[in-house]
Amino acid sequence: MGLLAYGADGYGDELLDGALVTVQLAVFSYLLAAILGTLMAVLTLKPHGLRWMIGRVYASVATGIPSLLVIFLLYYGGTEIVHALLAPFGVEERPAIPPMAAAVAALTFVYTPYLADLLRSALQNVPKGQLEAAEVLSVPRRQIWLKVLLPQALRIAYPGFVNIWVVLLKDTALVSLAGLTDLIAAAKVASGSTREPFLFYGVVVVFFILFSAATIRLANRQSRRLDRGVRASEA
Amino acid sequence: MTFDFALAWTSLPALLNGAWMTVLITVSVMAVGAVLGFGMCLVRMSRNRALAAIGAAYVAVFRGAPSIVLLYLVYAGLPQLSIVRDTPLWLLFASPLFCAILGLGLNHSAYVVEILRGGLSAVPAGPVEAALALGLPPRIVFVKVRLPMAVRYGLKAYQNEVLIFLKSTVAVGAVTIADLTGAANEIFAMTYDPFTPLVTAGAMYWLLTNGLRLGFEALDRRLNRHLAATVPDRRPATVRRSRPGLSLFRQPLVRRLPAKPAARETH
Amino acid sequence: MGPALPIPTPTPAPQGAGTRLRTRAAIELRDLRKRYGEQEVLRGVTLTVERGEKIVLCGPSGSGKSTLIRCINGLERHDGGTIAVNGVTLEADGRGVQDVRREVGMVFQHFNLFPHMTVLENCTFAPRQALGLSAAAAAERAMHHLARVRIADQAGKFPAQLSGGQQQRVAIARALCMDPRIMLFDEPTSALDPEMVAEVLQVMEELAAQGMTMLCVTHEMGFARHVADRCVFLDGGEIVEQAGAERFFVAPESDRLKRFLRQMLH
Ligand SMILES: Nc1ncnc2c1ncn2[C@@H]1O[C@H](COP(=O)(O)OP(=O)(O)OP(=O)(O)O)[C@@H](O)[C@H]1O
Ligand SMILES: [Mg+2]
Repeated sequence: MGLLAYGADGYGDELLDGALVTVQLAVFSYLLAAILGTLMAVLTLKPHGLRWMIGRVYASVATGIPSLLVIFLLYYGGTEIVHALLAPFGVEERPAIPPMAAAVAALTFVYTPYLADLLRSALQNVPKGQLEAAEVLSVPRRQIWLKVLLPQALRIAYPGFVNIWVVLLKDTALVSLAGLTDLIAAAKVASGSTREPFLFYGVVVVFFILFSAATIRLANRQSRRLDRGVRASEA
Repeated sequence: MTFDFALAWTSLPALLNGAWMTVLITVSVMAVGAVLGFGMCLVRMSRNRALAAIGAAYVAVFRGAPSIVLLYLVYAGLPQLSIVRDTPLWLLFASPLFCAILGLGLNHSAYVVEILRGGLSAVPAGPVEAALALGLPPRIVFVKVRLPMAVRYGLKAYQNEVLIFLKSTVAVGAVTIADLTGAANEIFAMTYDPFTPLVTAGAMYWLLTNGLRLGFEALDRRLNRHLAATVPDRRPATVRRSRPGLSLFRQPLVRRLPAKPAARETH
Repeated sequence: MGPALPIPTPTPAPQGAGTRLRTRAAIELRDLRKRYGEQEVLRGVTLTVERGEKIVLCGPSGSGKSTLIRCINGLERHDGGTIAVNGVTLEADGRGVQDVRREVGMVFQHFNLFPHMTVLENCTFAPRQALGLSAAAAAERAMHHLARVRIADQAGKFPAQLSGGQQQRVAIARALCMDPRIMLFDEPTSALDPEMVAEVLQVMEELAAQGMTMLCVTHEMGFARHVADRCVFLDGGEIVEQAGAERFFVAPESDRLKRFLRQMLH
């Protein structure tokens, strides 16, 4: 157990730093994907037209390829991509892309359509009367979306959102292959130099199981609260 | 940021080699997952409390752990055990390919356990009782009635799981196997052109995942032809809502719904 | 409890594992008991069904009719008393259940056809798997019984493509394919639309006319009057009254049966 100690003799601090990277990566990517996914869901709500087709192509690409490939693409090619995007505006920049930013961008890119699809089908399942009721009360459009439709859709999509969170969390484990010093990279270094793979990878397994269990618990409590509100208002 | 068609053409053989490795691993893991998953599902559903607890622990650990960690554990951890190091098993565990298939297979099989368990518990009591009442031995009732119905219930979830794990086979790069992603990285390292090899590899992954998906959909149509259009479609709404003309753009959305014990018919 | 029972209770037979009752009856139940947890669902049912006899069993919802039927072929384990079918004892621990099931066919309220098999496969499945018949022999037998229930032309369809009445007739044919000597029916027409009830009842009446031993849970009075040798009224897990169909419906003795029949007619 001394090997897990904090400080120079143990690997506790390295593992903790790694875990922090993993958590940051997962949380940032998920939040961004949730925001962009909401936007995408609203923009591609009607199942026809140009916006919808673009959305489908994007979703098909993003969900049809491994996220690690996207991470590599953004990590190796990100500088050029940013340059190409800025060039039309006369900005000649070639910024270096830190691995963390590439990974967050890649995971966001991949998981946005998953969340968008969940939310879109949830929006389609919000009773039509809700929109009509708000319209006849002449509630402004934006308020209808923000206060009436999205909250209800979110409640319907909630279990799927939690599901995707767990999938994304485990998908972050691949970023060590792109050179990020996340929890897995830290465990690999530690187990390599101490020849104690069971100890360190065991810690990683326990971390992932406990962390997802804890977040699911939190999510379930939150979801009960959402449900309670609905039942109360229906009664 | 340009796509170099000449480079794509010359690197095609190397990429196809990598793609072949990805396919090989995927198929092997599916086989391992089916066998281990079926066996552990029986353990998980055993009436013996201790066995069922072992099954539950198996699922919790191997489903909860990212597959890359399982891969490292098999590759770096197991050879440290003397039962592996000092026996002919060593020959197996010295092979990165074997370790990769086992590591991914453990992860995949844990999902298979839960999908199968969900399917089995969703089978209504009626047809099973009818088969028993006909005097069929319980073993045959399980194999010929309950299992086929469970497989049909679980097919969609299984399809989602297979597509997700196909994409997670990129983890085999961790144990030095040159799969499709590895091959693309190799070409990048030689040419310093990230776009051409990675985009080509991405296109190949896209073809693989969508080919597999179309295969699953064909299988689904075949297995569920007893629900053909002349009768009310009782499949879940997500399956029904598919638009045939645009099926290439449809993708699995929700991975693995938790197995809910289905309501039993009461008599 | 209700009024004194008009049924003579036979002296209980000696019990014990492996007892073979020396009886010629098709079904012999003695003091049959079944409980779910605290709830006593069958409180000592004694009933003898002679060979070739047709019995209609009725009673209010929750009186234990289904439980009684399901105990006879071992879908539920009984807790006390004895069950013997054609002289084979079904033990409470499940011994003898396969032998009993060979003798007894069962038809369910909700048909319970195998949804992933065609009509023909539904009928050939058990004869092939349990009796070891060849595919051809099983198909021949199946077509014979499907013709009997007048649905041979639908043999290639799947259950979901048939109406309820058709499905129930297939279920009857499926049971007949095992050549049972006794048929149990648990409300075979109560899940059917009214216009389909007749086609199923007619098949059952033909089966009765051909000499099949039948124990039917049903509330179809017409069927009971045409077919039943005896009607049995079950209430609260015990047999309250039994009589020939005419007397059963026209001159019931117990208040509970009178009340039940009044409710049925409304
Ligand atoms: N599996 C079970 N577990 C617990 N209680 C049960 C079970 N099956 C039946 N019961 C109870 O046993 C009693 C008798 O049920 P049964 O199904 O035999 O009634 P029934 O006479 O067939 O009624 P119905 O006319 O509604 O079909 C009911 O009170 C029911 O709630
Ligand atoms: Mg009943």
